[in-house]
Amino acid sequence: MENESNVTDYYKKTAMFWSDMIAMMSSKPTTLSAVGPLRNLSTNLKKITSELTESNKEIVEFNNFLIEYYKQLADTWTGAQKEVSSKISKVPQNEEGLEAYKRVWIDIFENNFTGLFDSKKFSENYNKLISTELDLLKRWNAITDVMLKSANLPTKQEIEEIYEELHTLKSRISKLESSKKKA
Amino acid sequence: MSENKFDPKIIGEFLNFSRNFAEAPMKVSVPHEVKLGSTQFDVAYKEDKMRLLHFKPLTSKQVRTPLLISYAVVNRWHIFDIDPKKSWVKNLLEQGFDVYLIDWGTPSKIDKFLGFDEYVNRYLDNCVDFVCDETNVDKVSIQGYCTGGTLATVYSALHPERVKNLIATAPVIDGWKDTTVVSNIAKYFDADKLVDTVGNMPPEFIYFCFSILKPFEQGVEKYIKFLNNIDNEKYVDSFLKIEKWLDETPPIPGELFRQWIKGIYQDNLLIQNKMYVGNKHVSLKNLNMPVFTQVAVGDHLVSPECSMPLHYAVSSTDKILKLYPTGHVGMIASSFSQKTVLPELGQWLKERS
Repeated sequence: MENESNVTDYYKKTAMFWSDMIAMMSSKPTTLSAVGPLRNLSTNLKKITSELTESNKEIVEFNNFLIEYYKQLADTWTGAQKEVSSKISKVPQNEEGLEAYKRVWIDIFENNFTGLFDSKKFSENYNKLISTELDLLKRWNAITDVMLKSANLPTKQEIEEIYEELHTLKSRISKLESSKKKA
Repeated sequence: MSENKFDPKIIGEFLNFSRNFAEAPMKVSVPHEVKLGSTQFDVAYKEDKMRLLHFKPLTSKQVRTPLLISYAVVNRWHIFDIDPKKSWVKNLLEQGFDVYLIDWGTPSKIDKFLGFDEYVNRYLDNCVDFVCDETNVDKVSIQGYCTGGTLATVYSALHPERVKNLIATAPVIDGWKDTTVVSNIAKYFDADKLVDTVGNMPPEFIYFCFSILKPFEQGVEKYIKFLNNIDNEKYVDSFLKIEKWLDETPPIPGELFRQWIKGIYQDNLLIQNKMYVGNKHVSLKNLNMPVFTQVAVGDHLVSPECSMPLHYAVSSTDKILKLYPTGHVGMIASSFSQKTVLPELGQWLKERS
């Protein structure tokens, strides 16, 4: 049993070793030209195309949530206007009446829209809208990272890592200072 | 053909409005050129983007215990000193208090990882240390406004030995009880996705939240009123200052925003005594110092039901809850606050300082 396992490991390791070696040896001629941005960009073009293709689904989703968002606003506006009309059928033409009409209009619209913004359906749709927008932003970030890599510049993720490292360092210094002060 | 009989007053009003609209740019300053803040201060301490402001005293004798104000993480601190006649800070100075205020500054991308731990256990704690050293005391009185009230509450629960009195002004405490539209959006918000993708909470999103609070009163009627009053210098001055203040909101550090949405609004950890900050347990039962909770009945940003539970959650026996018939901003920057809120606060604080 043990022998069988050893034999399997031996063949696995041998296969991996030679496949890596062959890959490295065969890629030597191509690496000679891999110094310019165009070479990098052409290598990364596949990634950009795939991000753009995959973002189609999110664009459709985003569009649907945006349509629903405007529909909710339009429906609430129509409902509020109907309510105003049912309370005051004719727009008054004297100053006091017009002022009262304005007050009623604002109160009804305020109530209706606050009701909408307070509802589960608005919050759910709005947050889905934001969520798909963030998905699209993620794709854009991935594409930007490819471009940055091509230009030999640090990517967003690499910059984030530096920020995080700085944050950790600052926290450690702060804790050290604090413990020194207490001592 | 029916004849429309318009009240001549309406036509007069309409003509006046049109004239004001056309003349407004000549009569009124450009909003972004308006200067906010009038009371003099020194920057006493600085750390990263945070600044500790120390206001110059206006009385010869001062109350022994200094007052440290923890401002909110939304908008800027200038609302505490927006106008000399409505200045919270100036009023307290005139009552003889030694006033310090924390300006959290404008976080940038590098500040994405700042969370409750850094705000409370580093910045706020270092400010308290600084004020104690400067004024030769062991404890300070802390006032926190809005989200700054939450930070002040968490700090006081973690470091009760450094806090002489706690004043929580419209603090965000019980997220599940908050009935505002802000909490409705927060309930379903994917804070992880936003922070992981964008970093800090962008100001534009905060503007959106403001714009759906009373959209017609604040978004339409307010501006009509302004145009009808452009010859009223005091009105215009006050209007422009508030508008500029509303317009200047900094981003919120990503990690702080994430912890805020998930911990306070979605999981409601603070009021349940389940919150941990920097691996330390935050229990509101640790609030054994005198506590003054100030709540505005008409608050549409932090509803009274969200702030009031603080009063019932603390272990302190010396506590007071005051409900004022005003709004979120009216409680701190209005003639009402000058006449009612500040004298009551000053009296309460003097008796305990």
